[in-house]
Amino acid sequence: MKWNNEDGMDAPFKDSLCKDSLGKSYNASAPAAVIVNGVELSLGTGRARVHILKQISLEIGAGEAVGLIGPSGSGKSTLLMVMAGLERPDAGIVKIAGQDLGTLSEDQLARFRGKNVGIVFQSFHLIPTMTALENVVVPLELAGRADAVERAKFELEGVGLGGRFHHYPAQLSGGEQQRVALARALAPMPALLIADEPTGNLDEATGREIMDLLFAKRAEHKSTLVIVTHDGSLVKRCDRAVAMRSGHIEQKAEEAVTA
Amino acid sequence: MSALRLASFRLAWRELRSGVRGFGVFLACLALGVAAIAGVASLSRSLSDSLAHQGSVILGGDAALSLSAREATPVEQNYLEERGRVAVVATMRAMARVTGQASQDSATEDNATLVELKAVDSNYPLTGDITLNPDSGLLTALASPEGAYGAVADPALLARLNINVGDRIKIADAEFQITGTIDSEPDKLGQGIGFGPRLIITNGALRRSGLLQPGSLVKWSYRIALEDPTARGLNEFVAETRSRFPDAGWEIRTRDKASPQLERNVRRFSEFLTLVGLTALLVGGVGVANAVKYYLDRKSRTIATLKALGATGGTVFAIYFIEVGLLALVGIALGLIAGALIPYAFAWGFGAAVPLPFVPGVQPRALLLAALYGAVITAAFVIWPIGKAHDVKVSALFRDMVEPVRSLPRRRYIAATVLAVAVLMLLAVLSAQDRRIALIYVVASALVFLVLRLLGSAIMAVARRLPHPRSTTLKLALSNIHRPGALTPTIVLSLGLGLSLLVTLALIESNLQRQLNHTLPDQAPSFFFVDVPSNEAKRFDAFVRKHVPEDATLNAVPMLRGRIVSLKGVPAENIKPDPEVAWVLQSDRGITYTQDLPDGSQIVEGNWWPVDYDGPPVVSFEKRAADLLGLKVGDDIVVNVLGRNITASIANLRTVDWESLGINFIMLFPPNAFQGAPHSVLETLAYPGGSNLDTEMKLIREVAKAFPAVTAVRVKEALKAISDIVGQLSLGIRAAAAITLIASILVLAGALAAGHHTRVYDAVILKTLGATRRRLILVYAIEYALLGFITALIAILAGALAGAYVVKEVMRFSFVFAAQTAILASAFAVLLTVLFGLIGTWRALGQKPASVLRSL
Repeated sequence: MKWNNEDGMDAPFKDSLCKDSLGKSYNASAPAAVIVNGVELSLGTGRARVHILKQISLEIGAGEAVGLIGPSGSGKSTLLMVMAGLERPDAGIVKIAGQDLGTLSEDQLARFRGKNVGIVFQSFHLIPTMTALENVVVPLELAGRADAVERAKFELEGVGLGGRFHHYPAQLSGGEQQRVALARALAPMPALLIADEPTGNLDEATGREIMDLLFAKRAEHKSTLVIVTHDGSLVKRCDRAVAMRSGHIEQKAEEAVTA
Repeated sequence: MSALRLASFRLAWRELRSGVRGFGVFLACLALGVAAIAGVASLSRSLSDSLAHQGSVILGGDAALSLSAREATPVEQNYLEERGRVAVVATMRAMARVTGQASQDSATEDNATLVELKAVDSNYPLTGDITLNPDSGLLTALASPEGAYGAVADPALLARLNINVGDRIKIADAEFQITGTIDSEPDKLGQGIGFGPRLIITNGALRRSGLLQPGSLVKWSYRIALEDPTARGLNEFVAETRSRFPDAGWEIRTRDKASPQLERNVRRFSEFLTLVGLTALLVGGVGVANAVKYYLDRKSRTIATLKALGATGGTVFAIYFIEVGLLALVGIALGLIAGALIPYAFAWGFGAAVPLPFVPGVQPRALLLAALYGAVITAAFVIWPIGKAHDVKVSALFRDMVEPVRSLPRRRYIAATVLAVAVLMLLAVLSAQDRRIALIYVVASALVFLVLRLLGSAIMAVARRLPHPRSTTLKLALSNIHRPGALTPTIVLSLGLGLSLLVTLALIESNLQRQLNHTLPDQAPSFFFVDVPSNEAKRFDAFVRKHVPEDATLNAVPMLRGRIVSLKGVPAENIKPDPEVAWVLQSDRGITYTQDLPDGSQIVEGNWWPVDYDGPPVVSFEKRAADLLGLKVGDDIVVNVLGRNITASIANLRTVDWESLGINFIMLFPPNAFQGAPHSVLETLAYPGGSNLDTEMKLIREVAKAFPAVTAVRVKEALKAISDIVGQLSLGIRAAAAITLIASILVLAGALAAGHHTRVYDAVILKTLGATRRRLILVYAIEYALLGFITALIAILAGALAGAYVVKEVMRFSFVFAAQTAILASAFAVLLTVLFGLIGTWRALGQKPASVLRSL
């Protein structure tokens, strides 16, 4: 489904979303931070082409925390990428904080992402050649913030790494690295925070610590959170869960998870 | 925007700070190429500066006016003496022979040799100092002892004639006593190649020696130290001299262009070496591009992360371009330092051995040029791979695997690369004196580059499509050649470029050597007899015939000296000729008259004059020189012969086979032109059956005794003098070739190091599966040898084409493809490739599988 007209899009979209809505905690009246409508995406070429996202529509309110669940290969991470503007859908609309990503050029997307989307990866993806502080400073500098260093220090202190400014990733434990990554994602005060199995590479205790931190920080920043996870306890801490299977959003997902 | 740029700088700096591992080859390639160019340019500029600085010393005064075959008239001499202090110097070749008194044994008796005679007056030298041994002062040394004249000689003369200081020699009819040897002669450089050792006598002694005959090849040079030695004074003097004596026929040289021939040769040779250095830099460019590509491959995760954090593709490009640019600055700086030191190293190592006034200096312009080359090459080779980083996909971070980016960078990076290449070509052409050759070089290199690049892809494509061989070893080697990330393109490109140049240089050198050595016995004469008086020519012929075998051929032509005054009404000094024919206009040329077209010449335009031609003066001009000077049949030229201006129209153009080394002239006149003019005869003697040193030396002695005024030039000796110089040039060529080869090896080593990880992985897996170390070595050896072999074939082809072009079109010799030389040069390079490849791989083979497998 192609949407040519933004105004014509919102009303039917919200209606359909309300029908699909699963959660008791879902607050339909909150302004939408993420609007995904009719997104289609295939990757690869020729015979290797795989239809990954099929008619995905989803609305997430500002400040809402959504857990994205489903088996491997169901399209969770790809949907996350589409929301972060890292993958362009073949069809459909993606709006983040009111901005239609489809209208942005690649460079505009990068700048938009730097200011509005914070990403936490499963394998941290810190830049190994930079210290903890410098890693956190990067997105702020790229966004041209004058107070980049102060802001980065503040966030690092906030995740409990005040004494580790000048350590390189290799000198930090896995948990500490993920904290740096979290501080980095939070530093630009993004409207949307997305996390791709953030505890997948950590032991259970450390994972829990990181998650406590993530949810605390999210509350503090009032960010919208979308988190891909296999961890049921994590999903329970979200406002609602969206389950995916074979590129579709499952209707009864929440019951399945919260039951 | 500026905040973003600042951020790019900061990010680039942070990336750099983590170390420059993997950039060793990058730095080495750049530094080597830049050092080669900076070194060559600094050296030649230091030399030119030294020559310019020493101009008045080399010239022997502020200005020098040379006359052939005649002395200045009293009017001319008075004019000069009113303008400053004048020293009169006459130079000619003559035969010196040992007199009976000096010879202590029979072997020395009648010994004779050619000398470069220089007759001076009491004002010599006007500038600089002559040092003698014993250090008695020139005037004292040249004073006449009883019954003889004083003379000082190059120590080589004493050795050649087996005599000592104090002994006496005879030149023509005069006897000279050697009163000392010459340690250094200030104006030696201004005189060109000497075929014999120097002997200095006085003008008075020369006049009384009997050497000065009509038509003798003597050059009178009037050096003047002006009363107003300023640049303005000098210019005014030259202008006034030209206007007051328009028909004097003298060649005027000034201290600022004291040795134009030498300067031009230094320049040409240094330009040639610069092009070789540029090739080294070009080969290094491949290494630079590879280093950047491998580095960015390793950094793809970081790049993806930066993009996830808001960096645009343009920012990513900026970050890595800045980083690589900063590193390039380091490489260029290292190269410049090394290049700037080369003149000093040269002065330290060879200063004493080179007969040139050489003062090493830092040459900012040379360094600037080299730095520019380094910067442009860097841009030309790195924009492409960095441009690809623009499109590294962030989404890969989620899949925990970074996908390879698309094969072509965006259009803007392609355009920037094309621009950098264009600037590089422009720089190469514009900074060269001989732009035509530079342009041909640029086009040829671009072609070779393209061909090699395509060849790399073609080899991979063919290897992929070949039917699978039975042998596992061969199968593995073949798959190593074509699989993704194979070393094939790198090896073919870098080795191919280096090897093409190596083959080119080897072929040029072998053709030069062949020209000087091998073509001689067949056609070249053994002797030139100069200054045979015309009235004695018959007697001389008869004398020589008596002393040589019957089948020896003796050729004689009348010989005069003439200087071109104007071409088509344009004065010679106002003509800016092609450097190749500048010599025709520069000083006096030998000219002759003849009824018949000489052997080996062919009329290509116009007609030869009829028998007993009696019309107005006409001249036959050599075709190529005429073409380059823009002369056609019917054009008028004015030639000054014996002080008289003769206007002749060009009757015909003819080709000349210069390689025969026979008697050949640019200008031939019909006999009526110089009827009755005093002249000498030039004769050549050839032994069809060949000759040896003994027979030649014996003839020299006999001739010197019977005809003391005749100068015998042994062709073999003269060629040896030239061959010695060529030998020194060869040394320079070989050094340059070595630098290119080193660059090739560096690139290869870099590529191997970058592929090391994959090789270790392969080796370990194959070993786990049962491959022996011997088999693995064989696999790699076959891979490298196959690539080396195919590359060598192409390189031999490209090198032969380039070598043939240089030898035929630039040096104007006939070209012979020395297969052995080409094959040896490439075999050596291929061997080197295999060797280096295997050394690189050996470490991979030594890895214990378990430790590697654990870390996989």
